[in-house]
Amino acid sequence: MQNPYIPYPVIVDKIITEVDTKDIKTFRFKFVNPEDEQKYAYIPGQFGELSIYGKGESPIGIASSPTQKGYVEFTVQKAGVVTSALHEMEEGMMMGIRGPLGNSWPLEFLEGKNIVIVGGGFAFTTLRSLINYMIYGDNRKRFGNITVIYGARNPGLLLYKDELIEWQKRDDLNINVTVDKGDATWKGREGFVPAVCKEVAPSKENAVAVICGPPVMIRFTLPVFFELGFSKENIITSLEMRMKCGIGKCGRCNVGSKYVCKDGPVFTLAELDKLTPEY
Amino acid sequence: MEKRLIKKDALAGIARKMAGDMPVWAPVKKEDNVLFAPLGSGNEPFFAFLNSKNAPKNVFFPHTETLMKFTRTPKGMVFSAEVNKTDASVLFGVRPCDAHSFVLLDKLFDQEKYKDGYYIEKRKNTTVISLACVKPPYATCFCTSVDGEPVSADGADILLTDIGGDYLVEFITEKGEKLAKYFGETKADAAADTKKSEIATKAKESIASKIPAHEIKPILDVNFDNPFWNTIHGKCLACGTCTYMCPTCHCFDISDEVKGSDGVRIRSWDSCMFPLFTKETSGHNPRSSQKERWRQRAMHKFKYYVDMFNAIACVGCGRCVMSCPVNIDIRKVVEDISKL
Repeated sequence: MQNPYIPYPVIVDKIITEVDTKDIKTFRFKFVNPEDEQKYAYIPGQFGELSIYGKGESPIGIASSPTQKGYVEFTVQKAGVVTSALHEMEEGMMMGIRGPLGNSWPLEFLEGKNIVIVGGGFAFTTLRSLINYMIYGDNRKRFGNITVIYGARNPGLLLYKDELIEWQKRDDLNINVTVDKGDATWKGREGFVPAVCKEVAPSKENAVAVICGPPVMIRFTLPVFFELGFSKENIITSLEMRMKCGIGKCGRCNVGSKYVCKDGPVFTLAELDKLTPEY
Repeated sequence: MEKRLIKKDALAGIARKMAGDMPVWAPVKKEDNVLFAPLGSGNEPFFAFLNSKNAPKNVFFPHTETLMKFTRTPKGMVFSAEVNKTDASVLFGVRPCDAHSFVLLDKLFDQEKYKDGYYIEKRKNTTVISLACVKPPYATCFCTSVDGEPVSADGADILLTDIGGDYLVEFITEKGEKLAKYFGETKADAAADTKKSEIATKAKESIASKIPAHEIKPILDVNFDNPFWNTIHGKCLACGTCTYMCPTCHCFDISDEVKGSDGVRIRSWDSCMFPLFTKETSGHNPRSSQKERWRQRAMHKFKYYVDMFNAIACVGCGRCVMSCPVNIDIRKVVEDISKL
């Protein structure tokens, strides 16, 4: 049996600097042992522990979609010891990844429904995984309308800029990208995410909202969806907590009787209501 | 399974004999304390003890444990070896409350999904020999309130009970039976059994400290926000002694250490009493003050563990009561909760 504490060895295959401030990068990893890719079979919404020997580990949501074969991607902001070391990495270097960990976006529940995806800032990573999964080939037929509302503080802070352009070209996706404040070259929408949600006003009919973003965005976005008639069972989000083991043992990411690492990170609002407000 | 009798003064000799064949952890006198330590190299078994200062959980879950090794290459630090090997060994003379804690820890480390190989390997290869408490060792003992008993085979492979001049030796599991050859040839008769039952009943009755540990679960379910939680932590120093001493506390940290070109990833005991335990890189801390940390500790033991595993994560050993430098008494906390 696989020891869940031992990372799979990976090579840093590609590093993409996502934002103007250069502190958010996407890391593409290839498995040193090709058979490990199969063992790392994941579902959008899951996360991994990025492991840099000598520095430690950091739990990060998986940004690629399982439909993207041959590699796995994580988009990481430079913040603490491990992520700073990661940002110093160069292509061709070796490190480790553990996982996939946690539950995932509830794909079976989402199937056949209209999907509203709301993302703010840097929290767009596992939503990107979900979007790429849903629009891949025949997968698209399994889901109804897909509406995406994604915002960042300014144009330079938008993630996955090339993909956003590609997505906007598709007629089976309703993409709404917004920035709090544009610049000289910005021709898109301006406005905060909650306001744009109100404007776009996605129907609650047979719909599920998947919302990820900074707490302040969530706080103002939820009332919009309640007003649109979305029930708490049909609003889904993902939590972050400090983690170490990632497998429900080390004891720091519990919220009440649930471990965010093992029972989450994805919860419906109805489920969150039953948890203690300790996250 | 079979039962035997050994002379009371034969116990240390048996432990020493075993230690000649395999690693044996037994109570050892170290200055003023009795601690579990491997016999040999000057460590002599010492059975005239009430209970060990520290819980023997470190036999299965060491204070600091190497999980893996890594080494420097031109392409960065890479994994070099998993570290997890345990020889067959014996944990000799554990008190029933501490043996009960192993059953509780098993529930967490040996779950269906995500097995913790490091703990399981040691547990599997270790035979636990419990030494029944025929007299309640301390006024702070409250095992009978948390599903334990002073004379109990829970978590033991062999149970030793002092029935006067002899120890009654009961082989509880097959693992225990494999060590039968160390315990002489004298079969125990029915009279020994009767004597043991009498002693067990008496020992149980003599546990004077009782707390409503089971009664508080439904109260905790609905009192997360009760102002009561403001009343415990005021004098708490956040020293973490309670979690260090606790036989069931199992929270840990994982960290890396590098020396020259080589390094290790280790796990070490951590504590929910420490602010850093949950503090995130952003500065946000979901348990921002000692109030939340104390609530977490009480909730984890008497509610969350019950929700998860249908068992209270306390064995009533009383170590946290005895060791707390500011006299916070978990028994009083439970008592107070029961009155909410």
